[in-house]
Amino acid sequence: MLDPASAEGRQALASRIAEGLGDQRLQGPVEVLTVVPLSGGASSATYRLEALRGGQPLRLVFQRTAGSEHAGLGRSVQAAVQRRAGALGVPVAPVIATTDAASALGDGVITGFVAGEALAPKWLRLPDFAAARAVLTGQCAAALAKLHAAPAGHWADLGLSGGSGAELLAAMEALYRRLGVTVAAFDLAFAWLKPRMPEAAPTCLVHGDFRSGNLMLDGAGLAAVLDWELTHLSVPEEDLGWLCVQAWRFGQWQLQVGGFGTREALLAAYAEAGGVACPQAVHLWEVYGTLKWGMSCLQLADDHVSGRVPSVERAAIGRRVSEVAADLTYLLAFGDL
Amino acid sequence: MSHPTAIQLLQAVQLFLKEAEAALDGRLAFHAKVAGNALGMVVRELAQAPDAAEDAAFAPFGGRDALCEGLRRGDFLPGDAAVLRAVRAAALARLAVDNPRYPTFQRLMERDLP
Repeated sequence: MLDPASAEGRQALASRIAEGLGDQRLQGPVEVLTVVPLSGGASSATYRLEALRGGQPLRLVFQRTAGSEHAGLGRSVQAAVQRRAGALGVPVAPVIATTDAASALGDGVITGFVAGEALAPKWLRLPDFAAARAVLTGQCAAALAKLHAAPAGHWADLGLSGGSGAELLAAMEALYRRLGVTVAAFDLAFAWLKPRMPEAAPTCLVHGDFRSGNLMLDGAGLAAVLDWELTHLSVPEEDLGWLCVQAWRFGQWQLQVGGFGTREALLAAYAEAGGVACPQAVHLWEVYGTLKWGMSCLQLADDHVSGRVPSVERAAIGRRVSEVAADLTYLLAFGDL
Repeated sequence: MSHPTAIQLLQAVQLFLKEAEAALDGRLAFHAKVAGNALGMVVRELAQAPDAAEDAAFAPFGGRDALCEGLRRGDFLPGDAAVLRAVRAAALARLAVDNPRYPTFQRLMERDLP
């Protein structure tokens, strides 16, 4: 794959950006000046681009799939979801263009740069974000209510995955069995969830990874909802329950909503924004979400243990299974965490 | 007995990783921190033997795999107080090794099961 920072890579990016932005005769040509890698995971790489369009500075972000490990949504579908979510009123980075999986740049998306802080441990603690945190629960509730208000048919042409709660749980259990690890608290949670998960068909699109780590904040609160890679068809309570999972509270455990708000405030604001969610179902999906995070820990550990991706970070994440086991035990014993 | 002990050697490596972390930046500094935390788990595991605690907790059910299999087949119910007690004991023994500062550790230990 082409290095986006090379002269050829910058040229290829500039051409996609020019196409994405439209009429060049009016605005002048696009030139990509610098490409700075922001973060590199095993499955995805993100770069910040400084560009000029007709001499005017343009700040953009290029995110692309790296390696063959990636099993998530294609970037073009992800970009289409992100555009439509933006049109529904969800704050997202504006999509400028996509790059094709078969092209030299690989499967990627170019978006406008949104200024702000994406590191949740920072914006959860820094005094500069106190005002932003105070309004964030309401903003998250409103963003989710807008996203969930569109019927499942709104997304029908995109070929998204998804299913009933029962189907999603069955898929997760199959993954757990494949990994060949037994954690008693996980089996406890599967046994508790199985008779409770809804059988009804999906009613809407869920972001699928709406947690504090995927929220970009500025001084006024929610600036953008990031990472639409796990989006799928489900029910509203999946996103609401996932947002309450302990792992994204970063130690602020009394604030169930991502470490910044209470569950009651989230559900009240969600209803006020026109959303319909059942509190018992949100609890069910919080248990499901906690278990799902546990599966991610097992999978990341398996990457290391199997020798596929040797990594001290992934090996250590495997031991976070114990945190999830304690969370699940608490949730099932006391009905609240 | 050899001197220093395995735990003392691990603690020495932890000290070194702290120094290394301060001299590194970015991804390597982060990995030095993660590596130091991982050694902390090994130190606690050597001192606490969580496997034995887990085995003891699950012995009345025929062991961990038998309990998991029983939960899957419906022979054991997730609301059963004895099951919950055993799963809690095992979860606490593991978390005491892996991350005793995790907030749910104290909360789960201190609250009486219904």
